[in-house]
Amino acid sequence: MESTKAPTSNERPGGGLREVAINLLTILYFAFALFPVFWMIIVSLKPSNELFSTYFFFHPTFDSYRTVLGLAGDSGVPFVRFFMNSLVISIGAVLLSLIIGIPAAYAFARFHFRGSKDLLFTILSFRFAPELMVIIPLYVIYQKLGLFDTYIGMIWVMQLVTIPMIVWILRSYFQDLTPELEQSALLDGYTRIQAFMRVAAPLVRPGIAAVALLSFIFAWNNFVFPLILTSSNAQTVTVGSLTFLGGNRPNYNLTAAAALVAAVPPLILALSIQRYLVRGLSFGAVKG
Amino acid sequence: MGHEGNPFVEKAIAREISRRQFLKNVGFGAAALSGAQLLAACGTFGNASGGSKSGAEAGDITGKFDWKREDGTTIKLLLNKHPYTDALLDRLDVFSKLTGITVERDIFPEENYFDKLTVALSSGQGTYDAFMTGAYQTWQYGPPGWLEDLTPWIENESATNPEYDWEDIYPNLRAADQWNFEAGSELGSGKQLAIPWGFESNVVAYNKKVGDKYGVTEAKTLDDLVSVAQEITDGESGMYGIATRGSRSWATIHPGFMTMYSRYGLEDFTISGDELKPGMATSEAIEFQDKWAQMNREAGAPGWTSYTWYQASSDLGAGKAGMLFDADIASYFQNQPGASNEAGNIRWYPGPTGPDGSLATNLWVWSLGMNANSSKKMAAWLLIQYATGKDHLRWGAVNADMVDPVRKSVAEDGAFKDRLDKAHPTYLDTFNQVIDQTAIQFTPQEKFFDATTSWAAALQNVYRGDDAKSVMEDLASNLQSEVNGG
Amino acid sequence: MSATTADDRAPKKVSSGRRALRPYLLTLPALLLTIGILYPFGLGVFYTFFDYSASNPQPGFIGLENYTNMFASSDFWSSALVTFEYAIGTTVIETMLGVAVALLLYRGSLVSGVLEKVLILPLMIAPVIATIMWNLMLQPSIGVVNYLLSPFGLGGIEWTDSPGLALFSMIMIDVWVFTPFVAILALAGMRSLPRDPFEAASVDGAGYWYTFRRLMLPMLWPYILVAVIFRFMDSLKMFDIIYALTQGGPGDSTMVLQVRAYQDAILFTSFSQGLAYMVVLWAIVFGITRILVGVLGRAQARAAGAS
Repeated sequence: MESTKAPTSNERPGGGLREVAINLLTILYFAFALFPVFWMIIVSLKPSNELFSTYFFFHPTFDSYRTVLGLAGDSGVPFVRFFMNSLVISIGAVLLSLIIGIPAAYAFARFHFRGSKDLLFTILSFRFAPELMVIIPLYVIYQKLGLFDTYIGMIWVMQLVTIPMIVWILRSYFQDLTPELEQSALLDGYTRIQAFMRVAAPLVRPGIAAVALLSFIFAWNNFVFPLILTSSNAQTVTVGSLTFLGGNRPNYNLTAAAALVAAVPPLILALSIQRYLVRGLSFGAVKG
Repeated sequence: MGHEGNPFVEKAIAREISRRQFLKNVGFGAAALSGAQLLAACGTFGNASGGSKSGAEAGDITGKFDWKREDGTTIKLLLNKHPYTDALLDRLDVFSKLTGITVERDIFPEENYFDKLTVALSSGQGTYDAFMTGAYQTWQYGPPGWLEDLTPWIENESATNPEYDWEDIYPNLRAADQWNFEAGSELGSGKQLAIPWGFESNVVAYNKKVGDKYGVTEAKTLDDLVSVAQEITDGESGMYGIATRGSRSWATIHPGFMTMYSRYGLEDFTISGDELKPGMATSEAIEFQDKWAQMNREAGAPGWTSYTWYQASSDLGAGKAGMLFDADIASYFQNQPGASNEAGNIRWYPGPTGPDGSLATNLWVWSLGMNANSSKKMAAWLLIQYATGKDHLRWGAVNADMVDPVRKSVAEDGAFKDRLDKAHPTYLDTFNQVIDQTAIQFTPQEKFFDATTSWAAALQNVYRGDDAKSVMEDLASNLQSEVNGG
Repeated sequence: MSATTADDRAPKKVSSGRRALRPYLLTLPALLLTIGILYPFGLGVFYTFFDYSASNPQPGFIGLENYTNMFASSDFWSSALVTFEYAIGTTVIETMLGVAVALLLYRGSLVSGVLEKVLILPLMIAPVIATIMWNLMLQPSIGVVNYLLSPFGLGGIEWTDSPGLALFSMIMIDVWVFTPFVAILALAGMRSLPRDPFEAASVDGAGYWYTFRRLMLPMLWPYILVAVIFRFMDSLKMFDIIYALTQGGPGDSTMVLQVRAYQDAILFTSFSQGLAYMVVLWAIVFGITRILVGVLGRAQARAAGAS
């Protein structure tokens, strides 16, 4: 585990009280942040007849997970297929946005060109449109274009969510890089593209990691677009989780199990990107 | 604008201005497209002729009835995640074998089901051929022509199998899905907008343990019920008297509340001439609503304003509520083995009568409707008649959870009665006591959801302590303009 | 040091015309990918000039009537008010809490190594599901929160029964879900800052708070502001949490603009009316974000100056 201690913290020797305070505050926040997740785990393990009449002591069972994963007969909800759909759509959307967005962010940061501010704001402004506002016309358009209930259709509509985030957040990171580094690369004979790939891009790795993770999560959790613009083929995991909830009883245990299963891919992604988020800029060579 | 005399010129000018405005905003070279052309191109002002249908209409079906008439077709259903859906899914292979039709289905969460249905139907597309709906929704989807009129299909002997027996379905239920689109006009005439599939009446379910102790079934008037509820709240620790819905939704008004309201002879709207007059601000109505709010305040669920049927019914099952005044099937689900803490302890009775002894009961009926823009109407009709036919409904009543039968023959079926009386005693007794007076108690009108949701919000304000008279009078004056096309 | 373009000093290997085109080539794909939304959006705006609803499928042109009616009704203004209360409440709390948490993790402690790995967890639960779970936890009759609070005598809180508490509860849920968003951005930002100024300050014997306030915060501002912009934008438009918790109740007290728009357009099928609400909401988000972006620009200039 990399040391997470910043070079900037002023560590006074004998700051024992401060250490305790910091640990305590950290624990306090995480207690707030983690308790509901802990509770979801508990709920997912409760049998239906103990859902509302017990708190911490009950007879745990994996039945909910079995039902959700389709191991206990047909639940009417093809959750595993929805899970795969979500994977394809979210990964596809983020990859596409990164490919398109990183150069764009770089350009906005590096070049001052006419209309750049307006263009930048316009890209952001696509996120302003309330989803419900565009959903009915989009539904019809998608039907006519044959994009309804397809991966491509969903990946495309997710760009509204992911591109503004990627462009805007990465622009900050690129702006923080001094141009001198790239200039020296250029003087050394590298082309602009090579300068970018060898110098600029690696230095903003933490930013790329953070923004890839965040936009993946927003795409993964999006609810309204998959609800309306998909049918049985490309339906996603969030709608699937909710489908378990109703019908005869409030099946919170099923929904909790489904939501926890659905949280696994973002979690895996987060954990594997951790090292990029942890490490700061190496070599300290960035700013003079 | 100087052309007052000529409405057509005015409209043309108005359209011209809107088009220019729109184009200026978009800034595309879309100058060639007129506003009307754009709308037609995307068909979004969806109406009955907007979709692309090429299939047969009811009148086109001739010859002998044949289940295999549409062999090889595929249809698509939109369904809600519900035990009735599960029962249908269990028998879809029987249907496919019988007809040769492949059935694709989308199952959506209950919370968002009608959102999806509204978008799908309003777009004028024929994506879904048939779907689940409730009666109130037909008042919304019917007038714009999104629902196929099923009367010609039912009456066409070439299209409907000879054993269908339409009259076997309870008359009140058949009428619930039938309306002529005139505000305030009685249900039961006009187009048949959907076929009843499985319904729910609203009665009082109670926990047997407190039922015996406090004499729940002796409560013959609302005041009796309130005092029993109060006794339970005071006498039982960890339990309150009666659960009802209270969330800001039309669903709060329609079960227990509307049932008791109607038993008092109160009306949501009365018709005077051409207009609908709101009836919830009369002095009797105000008195009733005050009492209802007070009952919930003092002997009802804490956090009542967020109570949907989930919270209300699960409180009964958990032993937190002594009684539940809501859909009978909600408590049936709690009473199934392994469903809840109190499973097996739940009993039913019709609830208090009105001052005149009325047992008027409101109902909810899940029904199957057909998309007016479908291109596979005959195949869809085969599915609908199968799903609402004697065979399947009887199977559903005996083997699955379709326990409020829409058909008289099923309700009187021996095996069904045996099964229910054994597992859920008093359920069928109660059902039979109210069935003759069970009907849609609301006045049909297109702004049903508008009116009822505002009513629920107003009721919440009364619950929280606002003066019932002023709240309801405000509501009534707002609704007056709202429902009469204001 | 200001981030001047490298262009002026780079060796001119490419014709100036092509060079001028380059930024457009780089940024245009992003624009093209997302521009498709303009047509549905424009259509939505177009509909607001008619009286289109399910009960009126052949609508007539009514000009600005939807808008004048809306602005004249008290419903709109109370919705706008609670929308702002919600957006400001969530954004302020999330920003402060998020930066604080990032600081705690950045500073490092015994527990921070492990806990940082799970920082992201709340964000992974879709808001609509988070609300359902919180609703279950907050339900007075069978919820765990009141159960845990009852030894302290607080077991009777009705979390959604009063307008104030309902607003508080939904803000709490939003904060729970989205604080990690701010924290992660702030943390990544902190870790991207150059070391030299801080090392210099430490050598000079500067105190921890001084370093934070004078050095770190100004450089961090652009990162924080981007997070603020996104959170504020999204909070103004928030639907899932509010609708799943109270549907806008009790009464009309939490009817934010987006919920009212949904209610009118989808629930009541008065499409034009609902869309008018959404257009106004869009305009509000547009205007406020424009202001915030201007602030961001100034903050970035200052940050560049600070280093």
